[in-house]
Formats: sequence, structure tokens, C-alpha cells
Amino acid sequence: MKKLGQLILNIKEYLILSVLIVFSLAFLFSNDNTQVRFLRAVAVGMFGTVQSGISSIPNVFELQQENKMLRENNIRLSNEVSGLKESKLENIRLTRSLSFKESTGLGLVSANVVNKSLIQTRNTITLNVGENDSVYINMPVITDAGLVGRIVSTSKNYSIAQILLNKDLRVTVKVQRSRVDGILSYDGVSSLTATNIPKNADVVVGDVIITSEYSNLFPSGLPIGTVTETGNLDNLFKKIEITPLVNFLSLENVFVLKYLVNKERYFLEKSYQSPKK
Amino acid sequence: MNIDYKSIIRNAILLFVLILVQKSLVWFISLSQLNLSPDLVIIALIYIGVREGKISGAVYGFVAGLLLDVLSGSFLGLLALSYTVSAFIAGFFQTENDRFLVRFNFIIAVFAISILSNFIYFGLFFQGTPILFAKVMLLYIFPSSTYTTIISLVYTILPKKKGYDRSYLSES
Repeated sequence: MKKLGQLILNIKEYLILSVLIVFSLAFLFSNDNTQVRFLRAVAVGMFGTVQSGISSIPNVFELQQENKMLRENNIRLSNEVSGLKESKLENIRLTRSLSFKESTGLGLVSANVVNKSLIQTRNTITLNVGENDSVYINMPVITDAGLVGRIVSTSKNYSIAQILLNKDLRVTVKVQRSRVDGILSYDGVSSLTATNIPKNADVVVGDVIITSEYSNLFPSGLPIGTVTETGNLDNLFKKIEITPLVNFLSLENVFVLKYLVNKERYFLEKSYQSPKK
Repeated sequence: MNIDYKSIIRNAILLFVLILVQKSLVWFISLSQLNLSPDLVIIALIYIGVREGKISGAVYGFVAGLLLDVLSGSFLGLLALSYTVSAFIAGFFQTENDRFLVRFNFIIAVFAISILSNFIYFGLFFQGTPILFAKVMLLYIFPSSTYTTIISLVYTILPKKKGYDRSYLSES
């Protein structure tokens, strides 16, 4: 008995280890016991109170990661919003163009402006339509706002148009209200002016300027701009400054009007002005 | 038989605090990208085992492991088993001059016992799953033990009691 006691004493460490291992294994094999679940619930409840206090400490690393994720989301959403805004504007533009196309009785070719120059004295725009689309030289270019210019050069798929802000383009115009005629031109610097208007003509600021029926290049009645300033050019004529209705800076979609010079009229007028010698 | 109540209370507080930290604040030093977190409790258990012997180590290991099992909601008894055996083995590093409580010897002890602890824990945890043991070794046991060992380096910079016998350092 004494020997047994001595033996137990000698191996007490291993006995305790064995007991603890047995307990551990017993717990392992009885994981779904009601008692264990109860014990677990009590312990989790007690620690939960302490942990809830600790959890209020902000997790810097998680916040960093969350910030990064939110920034990425922000960029993605900003891009989407930007795209949607662009689509909305395009939709408005195209709807307006479509309704304009339907309302006008003239044949129109829809075109996109693929290039433009606005800082020279002879400004032009390049359109993505050409002879394949039945676009020819001298056809007027318009938008729903009014006259843009005229085609001066064409290729199979592209064309170039002189715009109102071009020194070489002169248009016979009319004051819509008082029916006074004049000639519109670009001064090469900043403004459109109408000349050849008698000093006593009835023109006031705000009057709308339209194309005249005297013009052989453009159909009559196309709006061009509004009078912003009137003054005297000399003793006989007025000088009128006109702001175009078309915003050339934001010009993106235009229509080419299938309207060509009346050859019979053109040649008649030309032969009368310069008779053969 | 003398019972050192002071030591029991000190160890209990140390383990309780570390369990709390392990359960609540370990994400501060976790490598979430690699799914790695250090085992702070095993470091303390190894310290207790090396300092106070096999029985103390095994008992504290069992209690701490069981408490963590209860709190983790995982397999009850798994950490208890792992910690009991590991802290018991740590008792083998107990020497009269506490040579394994000094600096790099302790680090070696932590690495070796941490491997054993993770081996028991993950070995049983992944039983019955199709994951190969080699993969468990490479993905869990070895990285986790290494990271725990790295964290235990903090122990080497903590101030030590003057009473530790470091005479073995001047041996040979």
C-alpha cells in the first residue's frame, strides 16, 4: 500500500495531466450537452458585458480599410453619376433635335461636330457626314436654335462648314419685327455685325435677326441672333451688333439642311450683274 | 504543503486579462490579410509552466483553455486539451536557475511549445475535413506559431526580477 502511495506520488504529474486530458476529451465529446450550453451561455453573458465596453474602442486598422473601401466606392459612384449626367444631357439634346427634325418640313441630315475652331478669324466646324450622306457644298447647317453656317468642303464621309463666326461668310438678313434688311458678317474679333442698314431704320435692342428671302444660300426665316447694341456706322448707315442664338462653344449636334442654291436664280442674277462684254 | 496564494492570484489575473485581450483586442495585432493572430494566452501559459512546473502549467492551461473554449463557441474542450498538454510540456523547461525564462531561451521554448499547441488544436479542428494535413501545417500551424513567437519577443524587453540566476550565461 505504501509502495502504491509512493508510486502515485512519483507519477502524480502524469496522473493530473491524464485527468485533465480526460476532462478535456469528455468536454470534446459532449459538445451538445444541455449543461455545456448553459455554462456557455452564462460565461458568454458575463464576458459580453465586459466586451461590449471594450468594443467601443475604435478599430484603427478596420477604419483604415473601411475608409479605403468607401473612397473606392465614392470614385466608382462619382464616375457613374458623371456618366448618368452625360447621358441625361445627351438625351435632352437628342430629344430636342428629334422634335426639331420632326417639326421642320425640310430634309435634314443629322451630324455630330467632330472638330471645331473658334479662335481664328475664319472659324469652321468639321462634321461626320459627307457626300455618302448626300451632303454637298453650300448646304446650310443649322440647329434647333438657329443658323450655324454653311458647308464649304466635303469628302465621302466628312464635311467642313463655315460658321457665322467666319469673316468669309456674309448672310443677307432681316430684322424679324420691322422687316429691315441688312448684311451680316463677322468682324473677326468678337461679334457679329449687321451693316447696310439705313440710319433711320427701326431696329432696337432685343430684335430677332433672321435670314432674308433675298439670300440665295439660305432659306428665309432661319433665326440667327438678337440685337444687343445699335449705333451709327457713318452718316448714312447703322451698325448693329448681334449675339448669335447658337452657342458655338457647346455645339455638338447639328443638322445639314438639304437646301441648295437655286441655279436658275443664281445664274440669272449673275448674268445680269456681270453681262458678257 | 505550502500554497502560494499570491502566485495563484497573480497568474489568474494575468490569464484573465490575456483571455480578455485575446477575445476582444487581438485584432490590434492580427494580420487579417493572412488570417493570422497571435496566441497571447499560450505565451503566458508557457511562462507559468516554465516557472512553476508541469502541474501548475497543466492546471492553468486546462482552466484557461476551457474558458476560451466556452467564449469562442467552438469545440468545447479543444483548447483546454491543447493548452493542458502544452503547458505541461512547458514544465519540462523548468530549471533551477530559470534559464528558460531568460531572453532567447524563452523564445525557443515558446516556438517549440506553440508548434505543439497548434498541432494539437488544428490537427483535431480539421479532423474529418478534406484539407490535407500538410496544408494545415503550412497555412495554420507554422505561421501561427511563428507569429506568436514574434509577439513573445516583447517578453525579452520587459524588465526582469533581479533574483533570476543568470550564472549559466557565464558558463563555459
